[in-house]
Amino acid sequence: MKRSTKFRVAAFAAMLAAPVALPVEAADLVIAMPNWPSGQATANILKLSIANKFGLDAEVRELGTISAFVGLEKGEIDVQPEVWRPNFEDLIKKYVTDKGAVVLSGRAVPAWQGLCATPEAAAAGLKTIADLSDPAKTAVLDTDGDGRGEVWIGAPTWLSTGIERVRANSYGYAANLTLVEAEEDVAMAAVDAAVATARPMVFYCYAPHHVFELHKLTRIEEPAHDPAKWKIVPADDPLWVTKSSAATAWDTAYFHIAYGAAFGKKHPDVAKFLERVDFSPQEVTAMSYALEVERQTPPDYAKKWVDGNAARIDGWARQ
Amino acid sequence: MIRNSLAADAKRGRRMRKFGLVMLAACLCLGPLAALAATQIYDARTKKWVDYDKRKARQYFARNKQVPEAFRRQVVPFRTAEPPGTIIIDGNQHFLYLIQPGGQAIRYGIGVGREGFGWAGIVRVGRTAEWPTWTPPPEMVARDPNAAKWAAGMPGGPDNPLGARALYLYEGENDTIYRIHGTVEPWTIGLDVSSGCIRMNNDDIIDLHSRVKIGAKVIVLMQGAALYKGV
Repeated sequence: MKRSTKFRVAAFAAMLAAPVALPVEAADLVIAMPNWPSGQATANILKLSIANKFGLDAEVRELGTISAFVGLEKGEIDVQPEVWRPNFEDLIKKYVTDKGAVVLSGRAVPAWQGLCATPEAAAAGLKTIADLSDPAKTAVLDTDGDGRGEVWIGAPTWLSTGIERVRANSYGYAANLTLVEAEEDVAMAAVDAAVATARPMVFYCYAPHHVFELHKLTRIEEPAHDPAKWKIVPADDPLWVTKSSAATAWDTAYFHIAYGAAFGKKHPDVAKFLERVDFSPQEVTAMSYALEVERQTPPDYAKKWVDGNAARIDGWARQ
Repeated sequence: MIRNSLAADAKRGRRMRKFGLVMLAACLCLGPLAALAATQIYDARTKKWVDYDKRKARQYFARNKQVPEAFRRQVVPFRTAEPPGTIIIDGNQHFLYLIQPGGQAIRYGIGVGREGFGWAGIVRVGRTAEWPTWTPPPEMVARDPNAAKWAAGMPGGPDNPLGARALYLYEGENDTIYRIHGTVEPWTIGLDVSSGCIRMNNDDIIDLHSRVKIGAKVIVLMQGAALYKGV
């Protein structure tokens, strides 16, 4: 998934370079806001909820995860709404485990990734990972006339794209399918067009994601994740894709709320509240859909969400 | 309804692609050379899918004074996360979508190059022109006496191969040299006939031009995935 295991190089560089600026007028706390929709929605929901329940004024500040962790340690940032594991495991080890400067909420939202089929692809018999190795079945995915189907496996800069290539080699369907890399917007528009014209398409997908709200998709079934069959060589080896093997489903990923340890001591009531926030994957998908498809602004969406979930927020805030 | 026949006839597809590669450098955007059947249309009378090639396209157009229904401008359901005003080009299906509010799109029929766009990616409408001037590329000027007489530029008008309007596609501030333009050969909509650019009926390109804003996002889908190389 885009923000868990695959990193956009440019975004990553931007995150590294982004300075942690001090607010012009100090708020009671600062919530970092990632640049993806569910993170933006959550940051604003937390801001309004904390204002309502604790009377604290929160500033929402756009910030990448790495900069947010630096800010959490310095006390310049107080809350980071989505920290993805395992992709930020290095940061978690440094700031949470070793330094004790940051606390990860005990609750987490599970995330999934794998391959999806449009309704016509599922109807054509493409439902399991074994089906993808059957050239007779995958011929319907052919778009360029060479008799081989095509499958989008991710954007060129994503780490997960290389792992999808490893999986295609390990499962064997790389032999009869062309693995296509392209930007996510291009691939999602291709899914939209395939569905609009009732054409079969199989593609890499991850959840929570608004594409599941847009279209009726089937997740391709595959064997459960098995660490013994998941041997991914570190990506700094130029030959890591050919040296790796992965013939099972992806392991489940998770994302947590993080807050500064010093902030937790100063505001134990808010820390307790943050520990109780329990968004479901469906709610996160809905956030993504509202911002990406319905074009709601994060503050407007957060206002509606908070107004419509008062009892839930009361439960989180109960001491 | 239409469908791309290549999936159903891989051998023929391979032949076509090889031929297309030879011709790829022959011209940019234009060049009404030999048409290659890449499309099928559904014949409601015989209830069969039939090849839709240049000969049949000419016959259909002569008979009906318009292209088959699938390639005519129409509003269709289209669920997407892209905002209204975005253009999505599906060269495989010979459709161009202009996203509208409310889960709909205006769908136009298009003619594309024998090798499709040759790339996929995200660009934008950098500028537009009414009755644009056509300047043949130097290799065409050197080869074709008819093109040579317009080496300095053919003024816009009913005989100009760029047709009534042109949308110039930019990547950042740079002209990609690809255009969406009109045509003087309306029967070629639905076919793979030229190289590179997207052609539309003049009525359709006028309609699209009237709706599109400078800066509009244009997504070119992965037509012929083996050809994908990005912008």
